[in-house]
Amino acid sequence: MSKISYSKEVIRDLIEGKLPWSQTKSIISGYKDEDRFDKYVEVLQEKVAWQEKILLPLTHELYIVQKGSDRIVKCSCGQEFGDYRVNWKLNALIHVRESEEEVKELYPYPSAPDAEFCEIREFYCPGCGTQLWVETVPFGYPLVFDFLPDLDTFYAEWLKRPLPSQKEFTDLTCDFIAQNWAE
Amino acid sequence: MGDQRDIVLIGSDAGGTMTDMLVVDKAGEFIVGKASTTPRDQSIGFANSMIDAAEYWGMDWQKEAKNYLPGIAGIIYSGTSMLNTLLTRTGKKIGIILTKGFEDSLIHERGIGVHASYGYQDKIHPVSHIHNEPFVPKKLIRGVTERISMFGEAVVPLYQGEVREAVADLLDRGVEGIAVLFLWSYLNPQHEMMAAAIAREIMKERSQEVPLYLSCEIVPITRENSRLNALVLQAYGAEPAREQLFGIERMLHQDGYKHPLQVALADGGIANIRYPALFKACFSGPVGGILGAKYLSQEMDMPNLLCTDMGGTSFDLGLIMGGECSILREIELARTVLNIPTLVMDSIGAGCGMYLSIDPESKRVDIGPDSAGADPGPVCYMMGNETPTVMDCVLILGILNPDYYLGGKVEVDWDAAYKAIKEKCADPLGIDPYDFAEGVLDLINVRMREHIGTVLSVRGYSPADYYVIGYGGAGPTFLAGYTAGLPFKGVFTVPWAAAFSAFGCAAADYLHRYQKSTLVALPPGSDDGMKQFMAMTVSASWAELEEIAAREMEEEGFKREEISFKQVAYVRYSQQLEDVEVISPLPRLVTAQDMDKLIEAFEETYSRKYVHAAMFPEVGYQIFEIGLLATVSRPKPLLRKYPLEGKTPPGEAEKGTRQVYFGGEWRKANLYEMDLLRSGNEVEGLAVIEAPSTTMFVPLGKKVIVDEYKRCWLKEV
Ligand SMILES: [Zn+2]
Repeated sequence: MSKISYSKEVIRDLIEGKLPWSQTKSIISGYKDEDRFDKYVEVLQEKVAWQEKILLPLTHELYIVQKGSDRIVKCSCGQEFGDYRVNWKLNALIHVRESEEEVKELYPYPSAPDAEFCEIREFYCPGCGTQLWVETVPFGYPLVFDFLPDLDTFYAEWLKRPLPSQKEFTDLTCDFIAQNWAE
Repeated sequence: MGDQRDIVLIGSDAGGTMTDMLVVDKAGEFIVGKASTTPRDQSIGFANSMIDAAEYWGMDWQKEAKNYLPGIAGIIYSGTSMLNTLLTRTGKKIGIILTKGFEDSLIHERGIGVHASYGYQDKIHPVSHIHNEPFVPKKLIRGVTERISMFGEAVVPLYQGEVREAVADLLDRGVEGIAVLFLWSYLNPQHEMMAAAIAREIMKERSQEVPLYLSCEIVPITRENSRLNALVLQAYGAEPAREQLFGIERMLHQDGYKHPLQVALADGGIANIRYPALFKACFSGPVGGILGAKYLSQEMDMPNLLCTDMGGTSFDLGLIMGGECSILREIELARTVLNIPTLVMDSIGAGCGMYLSIDPESKRVDIGPDSAGADPGPVCYMMGNETPTVMDCVLILGILNPDYYLGGKVEVDWDAAYKAIKEKCADPLGIDPYDFAEGVLDLINVRMREHIGTVLSVRGYSPADYYVIGYGGAGPTFLAGYTAGLPFKGVFTVPWAAAFSAFGCAAADYLHRYQKSTLVALPPGSDDGMKQFMAMTVSASWAELEEIAAREMEEEGFKREEISFKQVAYVRYSQQLEDVEVISPLPRLVTAQDMDKLIEAFEETYSRKYVHAAMFPEVGYQIFEIGLLATVSRPKPLLRKYPLEGKTPPGEAEKGTRQVYFGGEWRKANLYEMDLLRSGNEVEGLAVIEAPSTTMFVPLGKKVIVDEYKRCWLKEV
């Protein structure tokens, strides 16, 4: 059986959003190419200036990378956000829009979220100033930890090549807060 | 000069790829023509297809058209140019005025729009869903303040200043037409009428004129979203299509044709090409077949007939019950839901052009969902496609004659088909290419058979009550396969199966269908006063529609006394979601007893459509829509009867033998020319009956009996 595989150029165009929709759609609807993940990561690795190996992309700019024996979140600019099991947003710059005026700067009527009820949080990279993420939540809601991947299982059982050192699969955000900001 | 023939009717169906032509003479003999569809100027494809057909009667149509056209009583066309306008987004530049707050309706669209036209797997994977680019951009859509309530009352007056501004602004932007749709305008058109008057005034002031399209006139029925889509289709797509139709009509008139060109409508009617609501013609091809079957059903005493149409991309079923077909009031077309009454069809993706592939994980054979169409076509067309299709399988098994495909007019390459099937499918599975090809045919036959079973059983019908007709380019080839094992009353095809939609157009009634929304409720225990009041409400709406119908048909050149009306009501049990189309037993409801008669007719239809036990009179009745069928009689193809002859086909019909792979081995199959078979002849399988535009396959254990109408019945040996 011939394995389905797209060229690295096609995968690069896919990542950069340069493929026409008809082609994107046929990739989405077709059988899965077996080497997609590796090619995808290769393309991403070529786009960043640093050497640490990308284990998994998190957002457009953020990656989980292998640094020594640690796995940390790193921005494409090089800024580091610490252990991937801690919500990286704790180490980002945060701009909060909570008044109606601030919300209206972005959203015309009637698309604006209700400023009486929720706030818009914008997360920026301290290294390059890129906006990394935006969330809209009710006042006082904890920072959303969007994605904590089970990397060891993914590498061992899906890619069939376990990562060198195992990490406990657990959310360390609260420990981080206790260590750094508790009285 | 060819044979002297009295040509009386021409039906034509311009599909996405081929334009089919069916020409009928006075004696009821038919010929079929085919040519490529020419989307830019459809009159070319029409003429070529006609030339092709005429050749079979030895005529040189280019030279002799003038001799025949003056005597022809009707030419009916059904085409895809409107659909094509939508797909290529080449319609008119239209401005829209909507109720304020609803300006983004086209952008939001119906949820189903994001996956309309997708196969099942894409439908359940939201990552592949995508919103459609609206046919009218947001900058050409204006909202104005006004509101009509659901009871038809003006609860917010029309802000006339806003209408002025909107019209002036749209004209400044160079629109070629303005469509107006206000909520609930079909219950009270007052605001739309006022807006239209203002628009006309402004256009007069500016000495500038563009057409106005009012929803209360063009689509005065419920379901706001699909109503808007239908109005946009009329303004955006129907007028360019009308120009094409006039082009064909001009060509025919130049050679002496005396009548207006007519088009088939999605609801099964026929209209002059000047018909205002021309958007209803945008989906006429596929319903053509059902119209043809309906005609056979009525003329040949087969009240229950299942229509099966297998073409390149889909397998479509239609049901005729008691000589009539049912209507669906919304359709999905070009990825939008439109408020167009359409003959009910149940389609699945199972066509002869479908691609074959092997799932790399499960090693399962997948058929479709995409199809190679006519361009690039199957591998055997040698037009650049390298992925095998169902048709390539039919070819390598010996069922199709490589030297006589479409009467020998299209060259097909057997070796290329074999090579592609072997390399892409059979080798990876480690099986013989012929076994693979036969397996594919079994698979697609099972899929179609299950579809037939489902369509009948969900409605509670039994195959034993139905005849089956198979048509479409691939219908006769697969007919034996997809009907196998189902106990139908009878299974047949006709020699003109490949142009059956064109035949249906020629055989349809000259009919317009009108709809109107209404609010009629009969709660349980309604007294006679209440019933009488509701009866009069319904009658008043019918009278209104008859007035519109008579006016329109008079404009199309008919006299009022030629028009016959059938009054229709869409009745439901209170609060149920689905209603039932009921033909009223009386032309007008006057008394409470008249209303009871309509309800009786409803319950009779309801219990036939569902089951008797589903009836639920305890909750009362509602009527939200009424309708009118306005018909004028027109000439139809004569169905000629031939004298029955012996069982043995004449020598001239025999075309020798060919090896066909069937049941896992190569066997000798007898070959026949379909047009030369005589009434009374029998052909026993294994056999292939060839016609210029289709191929009928007769498996081992089956035989074909040609009857006095030249229907080819498929029977057990
Ligand atoms: Zn950064």
